[in-house]
Amino acid sequence: MSILLQALLNGVMNGALIAVPAIGFTAIFAVLRYPNFAIAAYATIGAFAAWWVNVHFGAGILPALLVAFAIAGCIGVGAEETALKQLRGAGALTVAIGSIALNTVLENVVRLFFGNDLRGYDLPLVPDWRFMGLRVGPQQLQSLAFAVVIMAAVFAFLRYTRFGKAMRAVADNSDLARLKGIEPAHVAVMTIFLGAGLAGVGGVLIGLDASIDPLLGFRVLLTVFAAAVLGGLGSIPGAVVGALAIGIAEECALLVAPASYRSAVGFAAILLVLTVRPRGFFGERAN
Amino acid sequence: MLAYLIFALTIGGVYALLALSLNLIWGGIGLVNLGLVGFFALGAYASALLTGAGLPVLFGWGGAIVVGAVAGLVVTLATARLRDDYLAIVTLGLAEVIRLVALNERWLTNGSDGISGIQAPLKSALGNQGFNLFYLAMVSAVVLVVWLVLRRLDRSPYGRAMKAIREDQELVGFAGKNVLGFKVQAFAVSAAIAGLAGALYAHFQSYVSPDHFQPLITIYIFLAVAAGGVGRPAGGVLGAYVVVFFLELTRFLPDLVPSLAPAQFAACREILVGVALILVLRFRPQGLLPEQIVPAPKS
Amino acid sequence: MSRYTINRRHFLGASSLLLGGAALPSFAWGEGEPIKIGTLTPLTGSGGPYGPVMADTVKAVVDEINAAGGILGRKIEVVSEDDQTNPEAGVRAARKLIDVDAVSAIVGTWASSVTTAVAPLCWESKTFLATVSGADSITELPHQGYLARTQPNTTLQGRKFGEFAVAESAKRVFFVSPQTPFADSQFQNITKAIEAGGGETASLIYDDKKPSYRSEVDELLRFNPDAVIFGGYAPDTTVMLKELYRAGYQGKKIAFAYAVNEKLVDSVSAEIVEGCYTIAPSSDESSTAYQRLVELIGVDKPDPYTVQVYDQINLILMAMAAAGETTGTAIKDNIRKVSQAADGAKVDNARDGLKLIAEGKAVNYDGASGPCDFTDKGDISDSSFRYEQVRGGRLTLVKIA
Repeated sequence: MSILLQALLNGVMNGALIAVPAIGFTAIFAVLRYPNFAIAAYATIGAFAAWWVNVHFGAGILPALLVAFAIAGCIGVGAEETALKQLRGAGALTVAIGSIALNTVLENVVRLFFGNDLRGYDLPLVPDWRFMGLRVGPQQLQSLAFAVVIMAAVFAFLRYTRFGKAMRAVADNSDLARLKGIEPAHVAVMTIFLGAGLAGVGGVLIGLDASIDPLLGFRVLLTVFAAAVLGGLGSIPGAVVGALAIGIAEECALLVAPASYRSAVGFAAILLVLTVRPRGFFGERAN
Repeated sequence: MLAYLIFALTIGGVYALLALSLNLIWGGIGLVNLGLVGFFALGAYASALLTGAGLPVLFGWGGAIVVGAVAGLVVTLATARLRDDYLAIVTLGLAEVIRLVALNERWLTNGSDGISGIQAPLKSALGNQGFNLFYLAMVSAVVLVVWLVLRRLDRSPYGRAMKAIREDQELVGFAGKNVLGFKVQAFAVSAAIAGLAGALYAHFQSYVSPDHFQPLITIYIFLAVAAGGVGRPAGGVLGAYVVVFFLELTRFLPDLVPSLAPAQFAACREILVGVALILVLRFRPQGLLPEQIVPAPKS
Repeated sequence: MSRYTINRRHFLGASSLLLGGAALPSFAWGEGEPIKIGTLTPLTGSGGPYGPVMADTVKAVVDEINAAGGILGRKIEVVSEDDQTNPEAGVRAARKLIDVDAVSAIVGTWASSVTTAVAPLCWESKTFLATVSGADSITELPHQGYLARTQPNTTLQGRKFGEFAVAESAKRVFFVSPQTPFADSQFQNITKAIEAGGGETASLIYDDKKPSYRSEVDELLRFNPDAVIFGGYAPDTTVMLKELYRAGYQGKKIAFAYAVNEKLVDSVSAEIVEGCYTIAPSSDESSTAYQRLVELIGVDKPDPYTVQVYDQINLILMAMAAAGETTGTAIKDNIRKVSQAADGAKVDNARDGLKLIAEGKAVNYDGASGPCDFTDKGDISDSSFRYEQVRGGRLTLVKIA
């Protein structure tokens, strides 16, 4: 029983790591309607940006997260404006493929400047807390708290601010939005900034647990997708629930299946859920 | 140098088959298979295992086609109710699962060691040079045949129905066509071609391993189809050869920029591939050989 | 990173060139085309942390030999290609090295899959292949002598891991590893050694792309091990070490030196790797090759792969000189003459070796990764091992045995 409970707990903490980039991915999908593969590179860039300010200027975790958010967001906007924006007219699939190419470019730009060497933050690692035979990672709880706060903030931003409402309006119908005086181009820039920035924040959180190298984002890309799809593409709370579900599924599957198949668990979970609910947990109606 | 050209053309042929496979569903029916490399792997392993069990090579290739087609059927039927962007992500996951199975099921696939010593047809009789030439001729012939068949298909009423689905599947559904049926068939045929490409590759290299089947190849093939022309079989074939020559030519660039360290140069090579794909999508979205829409015959 | 940064090595090289250059006629290597040698290392992909410094090391050795006059009056040129840690790309790169550059030898293939894919091209074209790959199956390939590897096979390494754990009085040993070609046999050989010492083992194969392994570590802890042996590479071992630290694991940790290398130790907080032992093949204590390598490339604790590729290029250069010709076949036929000649003078680098060879003397190279004596199959026949431990955040030599 405690083994199962511990696995559930592990799943929540594992899922929290994936939740933030999944929010970024799904936010971009919600407004721009294409799956952006470049979020892998944005996560890597965020991790490197945070590493830079942490190691060279002694920045703590919070300022490092802010820097990661800002830099990944800016690079995301720059890349989107130069490379992907012009492809939107050709349809979502074309932009998606363009974003795969963009991801290759950005990953290798990181490699060009930083090399392949492993890096790590100059931050102490906190041992797990133990109570009642269970162990909980304070840093993972922190990540979970970040994920929940970010989810709430993004959710509130979309629901209650003028700009957020504009984003939702553009997501629903960009022509209508334009008629109402909302400029879809501005909304798109804001969305990418938010999405890429969140991916960057996610990259930092992953970098705390793993090593920082140019493949950091790529290694988790599939899990991030799986989380977003499971939750319903375009749904912010869905991304968080999807990430937690994947996390829990992966950790619990370990009790019955070999650990070497961990990545396959997410895939199996997607197939299972989508067979019952083709739009994921919180997916919208088909457009 | 000649040997290198022969080799590059043979690999170009294998890529061309993959490009034809992708073009059939992407250009034909508007679905995207981001797990192309998974079907390539299935074909390669199927043929390696069948011939390894003592069956003749042609049997292995047939097996690869069947395994590819069945996998294609399963994937489309399992995802039939999903929107197309979900399908793209599911196929991406599927390729990773196939790689994991190849990696972990040692009893079947020999795990990360891979399967080496796969039969190279007629190699002992022809010698190395002869074999390479023979294999180039054979791969090229297969590409030619598959291309001719797909071109025929492309221009037939069936092909027009597929493209109508690509443009507006609801409308085609209203018109009484079985949209799902078309999708399933196209996907299965496409997967079968990718499987055949895998089998040809396996017997050319005499070796397959899980490491062969990383997502990189899928990206190359997308570049090939986008560069060649989505929706036209000849475009995919041309694009595949262009991509192989582009990949190989970039190796000779360090002579031009000698100040880069090897690792930096390797990064630049990959950047070039990515930039090329983006530029093609942006400035020549119709590709080198734009799609031809054959007008429906007047009846 | 850039080759043009001025460092001590370049400075020394340049000044020796200036001093010695005056004595050399300027057409010293006007004779014939340069000899070409290819490096095929992973510069991108999952082997990326290892390949670049391997390529740089080969270049550094060749620069040094060129500065000393080259081989047989000819200059040596290194052509670097990226195998992308992918056999499909690796084969394309190897074909270019073989067919266009006509290299005599390819050194540095890392992933076992890349080596297995490239090896047939090499023996068919009579190009020599030197590799650091660990899969036992590699030297079983029908390579006709055109392949040699400096990585000890898993029987030898597994036994050493096990024996070391026993010597550290570990009774319950847990082996964690991603799915590598040698994970299985490694574990079997560890188990053999541990059981001989009256202990018990268990293992877990994990998925190496994940950012956390909490449940894996729970399973490991349930076994209650007093030593954990890591079978992975640097990126995944980093994650595993962090998880173990968080979970409060207090027992011994033993890893391959290529996993817990200088880069990993520098990239994590000291307490995470503190006390971790590393094992790498090594020459015996008296050898000076390791120290020479450290000075040559300016890296304090070179990776085992870097160390091996250093030996490979030294051996290949001397084999060509001993043969008086530069083909792959000449290397194949002569590499054992310079690596293990019973009556040969011990040398630890090609520059000294080449001088002796020019004088018509036999040499026996003892390298930085071991004595570099090869069996007929191309495996190294014996090696000492270098045991280090992370103490105070630095890799510290414990013993060579």
